[in-house]
Amino acid sequence: MSKSKTKDIPTAGEAVRAKKRQKLSFLARMEYKKMITYPMVVFIVALILLAINFPTLGIDLQGGVVVTAYGIDANPDELAKYISDQIGVDVRVESFTGVDTNGVRVYAPVGTDALKIIDVMKVRYPDAEYTHSEVQPTFGKISQQQGIRALIFAFIAMAVVVFLFFRNLVPSLTIIFSALSDMTIAVAMMGIFGIQLTTATIAALLMLIGYTVDSNILLTTKLLKRKEDTIEDAYLAAVSTGFTMSTTTLGALFILWLISTSQTIDNIAIVLIFGLLADFMNTWMLNAGVLRWYLDRNTVRGGNE
Amino acid sequence: MKRRTKNLFLNWRIILLTLVLIGSIATLAVRPLTFGIDIAGGVAIVAQTEHPVDADTMQLVVDSLQKRLNTLGVKDITVEAQGDQIVLVKVANVTTPEEANQIKNVIESQGVFYMEFGGVIFGTGRDVEYVGIYQIKSDNTWAVPFRISKSAAEKFAELARDKAGWPVDMFLDPPVNSLIIVSESVYKTMNSSEFNAQAPEAPTLMERITKAFNITVVTYANQSADEIAKLAESKEKIVLVDVPQELQAELENVNVTVRFVPRNPGESDHSLIVRVLGLYGPYSVGEGLATGAPQQDVQITGTAPDRLTAEQEASTIYTVLKSGSLPVKLTVVGMEFISPRLGEGFKNQALYAGIGALIAVLLIVYFHYRNWRIALPVASTSLFEAIIILGFAALIQWNLDLPSIAGIIAAIGTGVDQQIVITDELLGGEKTTKITRRSSVLKRMGRAFFVIFASAATTIAAMSFLLVYFVGTLKGFAFTTILGVLIGIFITRPAYAEIAKYILGED
Repeated sequence: MSKSKTKDIPTAGEAVRAKKRQKLSFLARMEYKKMITYPMVVFIVALILLAINFPTLGIDLQGGVVVTAYGIDANPDELAKYISDQIGVDVRVESFTGVDTNGVRVYAPVGTDALKIIDVMKVRYPDAEYTHSEVQPTFGKISQQQGIRALIFAFIAMAVVVFLFFRNLVPSLTIIFSALSDMTIAVAMMGIFGIQLTTATIAALLMLIGYTVDSNILLTTKLLKRKEDTIEDAYLAAVSTGFTMSTTTLGALFILWLISTSQTIDNIAIVLIFGLLADFMNTWMLNAGVLRWYLDRNTVRGGNE
Repeated sequence: MKRRTKNLFLNWRIILLTLVLIGSIATLAVRPLTFGIDIAGGVAIVAQTEHPVDADTMQLVVDSLQKRLNTLGVKDITVEAQGDQIVLVKVANVTTPEEANQIKNVIESQGVFYMEFGGVIFGTGRDVEYVGIYQIKSDNTWAVPFRISKSAAEKFAELARDKAGWPVDMFLDPPVNSLIIVSESVYKTMNSSEFNAQAPEAPTLMERITKAFNITVVTYANQSADEIAKLAESKEKIVLVDVPQELQAELENVNVTVRFVPRNPGESDHSLIVRVLGLYGPYSVGEGLATGAPQQDVQITGTAPDRLTAEQEASTIYTVLKSGSLPVKLTVVGMEFISPRLGEGFKNQALYAGIGALIAVLLIVYFHYRNWRIALPVASTSLFEAIIILGFAALIQWNLDLPSIAGIIAAIGTGVDQQIVITDELLGGEKTTKITRRSSVLKRMGRAFFVIFASAATTIAAMSFLLVYFVGTLKGFAFTTILGVLIGIFITRPAYAEIAKYILGED
């Protein structure tokens, strides 16, 4: 093959990449004090939000009964009143829509007979498809404890691995703090949007540990082991990669959320979306800010590792 | 160019990917995927033992549940112990909510069984050696024959000598060692000879349960919660029967274990008492058993107003006797029922969502690089990864449930991320001169794989705790995530790096 052809091998349009870097260069120009301050403020706001509005626990964590009816369109408030009147127990009704089916979820307190709710609903909607589940508070408590334990252990395991890989206190602690902040913000957002804390959303929070550490490790590696001429170049290269990573994942998650009517999948997707958005800020501002401050202070040892 | 292409296809990483991919597709063709209850439909029941038990007892519980459900004709059951207190029962092919509830009731009716006479327990479930098929006669009398152990038979013979017509009671899960607070009418009924079969001179039911189970029965006369709690000091729990429900909350506030049993509409004192105590009987002692000679083969008989009721009564006793062998009490603490038709919908949705997410990845990656030659390999590598995970799942017959699918999605999500890291590292070297290129590619790949290994290690470390410690559904999630990450770092990521090097002209 001729030389010119080889050169034509289509690498990513350099123009596109340059443009992207330019768009993101405002981040590189930001003072690191600000880069650290803003995410810290958000983290503290998230903590406050959690203190006043912690997400409610799903029935799998606190016990309760839920009946789901697929294939019906109903006014939730009116249906709730109807069911409550019929069975003499206060219920809460939520409607949902999916690509191919609509339906409602009826939440009732522990001890309610799910079959009774189904019987009452069948009078109105004989053709709906019904499923039900119930959880006793004792088991809810076990699940809660296990969820907390899993989160703590997973977090510690992550922290240990990060330390082992970087063997450097400040960068490691920053990564660990970023992950903590991502999770905190995600949980605070769940509170705001009324998404319940369930085993599925705990799974999503655990998943966040994996996702968020990715971009932080990328950034830290790039800045600490950088080959590029300046910190700014290394940072911009990382930010551009990170931007691609996050948007791709966010896109996939959004599609997942859009198509699925399974509450499990929906909730996992939405919590990950919250977490990834938080991570964007925490990686590229907080973590980057700390690292730049750290590198400035410890006069860097030349270009080589 | 030709040599480069050839080299690419002869690269062991590419060969490995190809082989594994073909293997996975072949596996999927031969052994179709199996799906969890939440997708295939069915009922999943979580039961908890009364207290933590050792491994042997747990195995006994699992075995006897399995046997029991089998004898009831329930198919496609898996019974699995998790930890020292949780038993997970999954039954596929359950189509109606009613059927699901029946299975739940069966599991819950597995209880601790006692045979009592005159306030003395002469046998428990362990003493029931054999239960025969029940018979129903044309006059609607029924009989359930069974055999009790030699020691129980001897004990009974001694107790029942010359006491023909006296009551024999059987209990399934009576509220042992408790304080029962009842309404006045219930108290009167319990303390009368109503439960004495044909022997008014025998001790009353209340006397019998007090002696046998250390149950104290008290009439509710507006005692305060504190007073009641004091009475219950040495007891395990308090059972409230047919008294105001407010009492329950008040007692819970003073930290005692309380069970509240309301009277069902139209329920008589008699049936309420039977329900609270888990009482079967009383049956009266036949002449033949009162001679003082031990008899191991005995039977319980009864008369019902019609054949259907006779059938029900007989089958209840039959079941109770059969289930008597369970070493510890089980309570259903959670259940989930998904109709198979819905499950079918979920399966399709998961498929559509997967394909949709893949297309989204393809388009977004294209949008970032404006280059199909990057976007297509990234998206197809992810597709390959999904196929390999599914192939592996099919190979080991892993039940794919919704959390498992979420795990696959998570793995693919990190996969795409890491491919982008590789791509960008390769692209980052555009400025370097030709001479330094080769070494620099190696270095940059090294850096990319440092990131990849570090994040894979954190994910695996985080998830392995979930896999080991958690009960319930999240195991599937952890398993597929770890599996996906491993497949990623050992098979798909190295192969993608080769492809990317080839495409970006960096080798």
